[in-house]
Parts: sequence; C-alpha cells; structure tokens
Amino acid sequence: MVDFQERITQETEPSIRVEHDVRYGAVAPLVATSAAWVDLGCGTGLAARAAIERGRPPKATFVDVDEAATGEAARAFGDDATAIVADLSAPDGLAAVRAAIDDGAVVTCFETLEHLPVFVALLELLVELAERHDVTVVMSVPNDAFSGVQNPHHTTVWGEGAVEELRGLLPDGYVLAHQLALAGSVLAVDEEPHSHTIEVTAGAAGAAQTHFVAAFGPRAGELAGSAAVAQVDQRRQRAWERQRSADLAFYRVLQAERDELHTALEDHIRQFTDYRTYVHELEARLGLPLSGAGGDAAATVAAPGSAAADAVA
Amino acid sequence: MRVAFVINDLQLSGGMGVVIAHARELRLRHGMDVSFVLARDQEEPNWRYDALAEVPVLSLRDAREHAFDIAISTWWETTYALFALRAERYVSFVQSLEDRFYRPDEIERMGAAIALDLPFSAFVTEARWIRDTLAELRPDVPCHLVRNGIDKVVFSAPVELAPRMDGPLRVLVEGYAGVWFKNLNEALAAAAEMRERHHVTVVAPDRMGLPTHLADRVLGPVSHLEMASLYAESDVVLKLSSVEGMYGPPLEGFHMGATCVTTEVTGHEEYVEHGVNALVCDWDDRRGTSRQLDLLAADRRLLHELRSNALMTAQAWPSWPQAGQFMAATLRRIHQRPAPAATGGTARLLADVRLGIEEQRVYRAERREARWKAGRYDRLLATPGVSQALALRRRWSGRLPARIVDPVLGRVKRLLGG
Repeated sequence: MVDFQERITQETEPSIRVEHDVRYGAVAPLVATSAAWVDLGCGTGLAARAAIERGRPPKATFVDVDEAATGEAARAFGDDATAIVADLSAPDGLAAVRAAIDDGAVVTCFETLEHLPVFVALLELLVELAERHDVTVVMSVPNDAFSGVQNPHHTTVWGEGAVEELRGLLPDGYVLAHQLALAGSVLAVDEEPHSHTIEVTAGAAGAAQTHFVAAFGPRAGELAGSAAVAQVDQRRQRAWERQRSADLAFYRVLQAERDELHTALEDHIRQFTDYRTYVHELEARLGLPLSGAGGDAAATVAAPGSAAADAVA
Repeated sequence: MRVAFVINDLQLSGGMGVVIAHARELRLRHGMDVSFVLARDQEEPNWRYDALAEVPVLSLRDAREHAFDIAISTWWETTYALFALRAERYVSFVQSLEDRFYRPDEIERMGAAIALDLPFSAFVTEARWIRDTLAELRPDVPCHLVRNGIDKVVFSAPVELAPRMDGPLRVLVEGYAGVWFKNLNEALAAAAEMRERHHVTVVAPDRMGLPTHLADRVLGPVSHLEMASLYAESDVVLKLSSVEGMYGPPLEGFHMGATCVTTEVTGHEEYVEHGVNALVCDWDDRRGTSRQLDLLAADRRLLHELRSNALMTAQAWPSWPQAGQFMAATLRRIHQRPAPAATGGTARLLADVRLGIEEQRVYRAERREARWKAGRYDRLLATPGVSQALALRRRWSGRLPARIVDPVLGRVKRLLGG
C-alpha cells in the first residue's frame, strides 16, 4: 500500500528521499554562489541539506505553511537562516514571501505547487521576480499523469499536459528538465556501509518522467544535471511483488472455479427448466395445478376429457 | 480586468460549454469582470446552462458602449463582431481549425480559414496539435495552451471499478447525426455489425437523420448529470469523428469508468493511449471497429484493464478550477505583454483570400457547366414526343414500346454526356 507523505523525514523511503536529493543537488552550484537563497515549501529541510553541500549562501530563508517544519529547516541550516510561516496560496503569505526575496536571489520551489489550491498567484509572482528582479527560480512538479497515483495531498494534478500549459507562462529563456528513475546495483564486500562514486548515463528521450523541473531567470542556464542512487529495501519490494504474483495466481484459480461453477449452474438451470416443462405438461394432462406456479386456481389447466373439463362444460 | 467572450449563440454544444465554464471560473474565482457578447441576435431559446446565471450576456450593440481589456472570439464567425468592440487586446480562442468543418466547395471554409489571419494579440487553444499548427501558420502571434477542465462534481469518478464479467457490452454513442464529421451513423452501423452480445445507447440532441433502428435505446437531449449516469452505465464510448479539436465525451466517459474505441482524430492524443486506456481504430474501417468492440465484449480482462487505466487517466486530468487558473494567468500575461504588430498576418490573409477566390472560381465554373448540361436535358425533355414517350415508358403498358424507345434515349443521353 502506498504511504503518502506530506513531509520528508528520516523515515521516508530511500527511493523517495533520493528524488528530493537529486533536485536539491542540481541547484547546489546556484545556491552556493548566490547572495541569498529562499526555499519555498521547505518542509523539514532534510532534503535541502543536499543543496548546501557545495557551499552555503550568506543568507537563507525557509518558507512553509507548517511552523514546526519551517523551524526545523531553519535550525538545521544555522543561525543565519530565517524561518517564515506562510500559506503560499494566500495573499498575505505571498506578500511575506515577496518581502523576503531580494533582487538576484535564488528561489527553489520543489513539489509545492501541487499542494496549493491556488497556485497561479505564486507562479505569477515568481515569474515577475525572474523578469524584473533578476531572481532565478527552480521549481518542480510531479508527473501524476504517468504514475496514476492519487495523492490526497495534491490539490491539483500535473503531467505532460499541465507542464505544456505552464511553459506558456514562463519567461523567455526558461530551462525544462526531466527527472527520471534509475535502477542500480552495488557490490558490498563486507557488512560495513561504504561510499561509492557512480557515473550514470541517462537521457530523457523516450523515457517516462517522474517529475518535471523548470528553471527561469538570469541564471537558469546554470541548472546542472544531477543523479543520486540510494540503497532500497529489496526484501520489501520482493514481498510486494510476490504478494502480487500470489494474488494473481490465486484469483486465476478462483476465476477458473467460478467459470466451472457457472457452467455447471447453467447446465442445472437448463435441466430443471426441462424437468419443470415436462412436469407441467403432465400436470396439465392430469388437470392438476401447475407446481411452482403460485398455486392459484387460474393456474389450473383442465385436461381434455378430465372431470374438471366436464364440470366446466 | 474586463473580459468579453464573443459568442455566436447560447445553444447546446461542447464548445459553448467550454467557453461558459472558463467564463464562470474567471468571474467567480479570479475576480475578472467577464461578459458574453452575442455576435448576432438569436431566436432560439438558450440551452439551460447553469453558469449563465453568473455571467452577464450583452448584445453587440450594448457591448460597443464598453471598453474591454481583452476581447476573445470563440468561433470564426464571431471574429467579425470581435473587432467591432473596443479592447486593448484581441484574442482568438481556437477550439479547432474550423475550416475543416466545411467541405471544399463551401464558401464558409474560406471564411473560417481567413479568421486565423486577423490581427490578434494572441491565440489560446486547448490542444497541443492546434498550438503547434498555429505556431507554424502564425509565428508572429503567441499561442497559449489552456486545456479544458472537467466538472469533477458532475463527472465524479468512482473510487474503485468493479469488473464486468458478463452481460452484453454496453456501448454509448453520442452526437449530432446531421453533423457530417461526427460520423454518428457510421458508429451505429459499426456497433450493429458486432457478433458478440451488445447493447447500444445513442444520445442525440435531435433525431434528424438518425437511424434509430440501429440502437437499443435512443435518448437526448440530456443534462450533464444525466450524461454522467449514462457514461457510468456504459463499458465503452464509441467515437468515430473525423474532425475534432480536443473532444470531451471519451474523457467524460473515462471519468465514469468507460473506456473508448475511437478514430485517431486530432486531439485524441491528449489523453488516449491505444492499448492502455482505449482502442484506436482505423479510418472508415467499419469491420475493424466492430471487431475491436467484439474483442472488448469477449475479453473481459482486457475490458477491465482498459477501463481501469481510463479511470486513472481521468483522475490525472485537471478540474475546471485548475483549468481556470491557467486561463486567468494566460489572459493576464497576454494583457501585460505588448501586442504583436497588426500587419503580421496580412500577407497570409491576402493569400488565403486569393486562394479562396480561385477555388470558388473553379467551383462556379463547374456549376455553370452542370447547369448548362442540365439545361440541354431539360430542353430535350420539352421536345414534343419525348416527354410523352417517357411517360409511356413509366406505365406498364408501355414496356414493349420502351424496348424500342430506350436505345434511342440512351444514345441521346450519351450524346448529352459527351
């Protein structure tokens, strides 16, 4: 069963966590060389730590609607971080965000738009900041249309079509990147965890995207490709797959039994219908009420030559 | 922001439903002052759109008294009224390439074609193929994509879909039989040729030209709610249109758990995937279409797979509030940006007019020749003795003399035809 998480935590599945790490890793060069960084929809900030691996900007602001999460994100960054609690679909929230974004800042907004009942106001603000205030924005939306997953935390749905609509609203010079899934393997020579450096060749042509990432503003071209892998719990994956196989085999047998019973039932119904027809013929000849016909007098058919027929005559 | 949607009428149509839904969203959720402007007086009563209560309707004469920030045409014929309004931006909402609705010799075809050459500030369209085509035809004018939404309250998707293991395949066909490119009658004929058990429901706003004997149930016109119920009762929507912008009925069917058998009409690629959530049939392939329907009737596992995937496709389709957000942002962006040069489409406009004139010249010449030939035939018929011979031929007593007359008449016809 899919567990929909609103926030990334230490308990988040590695396969989900690594998707966030890749996005923040892609903006790390931008963030490291910016005068100010604002992370909208920051959550607990756990994934955002990947963004500062290459260097910390002098000023960082974390924005989320959840006060506890925002505070945690700012604390993890350090004393020079600011926490803003704001609803990004409300005018006052947007005003607070606008006040917090300096000219030339880098703004990240990952996996946030789809949670907002009204996303267009934030989008228009970001576009205006990019066009008029030298702000570089990097944002992402999920590919709900491909996954078919119904996330109760998503108030809007996104996919290729929605991204095509989004493109028409972005400033000239935007960059559209596609986030893809990887599969991998590692050889462990002992029980201890070891760090490995991996080189990955991947391309978006013909591939299904898990997410779409758009960058716009003066430094959009600096968005770097990024990849990360994480060890996954194969046991759990195997259990899930084997359960599906077992279910399938089980229900196939049930289906076959059902078909057999259905055929047998149809045969029985035919036989009983024949029996009943025969019995009714006999009853009609004998002038008896038709069995199974409600037992009323009207159902009685007088057979020719019978006492009942003579009485009627 | 003051926005005017110029409309031809308020009759029942899918296109009109889209315009009304957008207007309502813009007015109610985005604070825009939206009005409908009727491009012409109409005599028929309005279709009972619920949203009409929330959007004012102005006559063209009244609308001329106002100034709008954006005026939007919604059909090629409304462009003539569009530029009669005072607006800072003129936008064309293109739901299809409307010249394709007309046959080559119909003069309206030219009118619809040149409507795209007018000095618009922007196009807004609902399908990527239209956007890409307009980008080629009018690279000077920005074209924005805003997909149609779906009323998720009316077309409320079930949480789970129960497999349909038996019973006749329930086929739904909808549309106007009198609109040639909807191919409604062809769809009914294809369903009628199925070998597997089936039940066909046809929903048609009017019965003109409809072969009702090919359906098990004939309904219509129906409300959206009633339509949603009909989709929910159906296994498959059969849609054999040859011209569409981005059709809605199969998508509405998806929302209610029905899959689709469709032609690969333009716009289907927005949400139809052959073998995943629907089956795509060939053009003019009645037998192949019937066999695809038979496949669904016979293979209930496949039917359930397609229906399940159709439902998932529907769940990932935007609602009208989401679509309205994109429309609002698009209109604001169009208003903020400078309008392109008004002469950008002039060369193309003149070329299309010239092409239309030449085409009509050819058709007029063909009609003149046909009239001349018909005139010769009429004169022959008027010749003393010929009309009487034809009348005699029609009576049974004249069959013997007809054997003498027929060869003569046949030679006369050949001479006329030569």
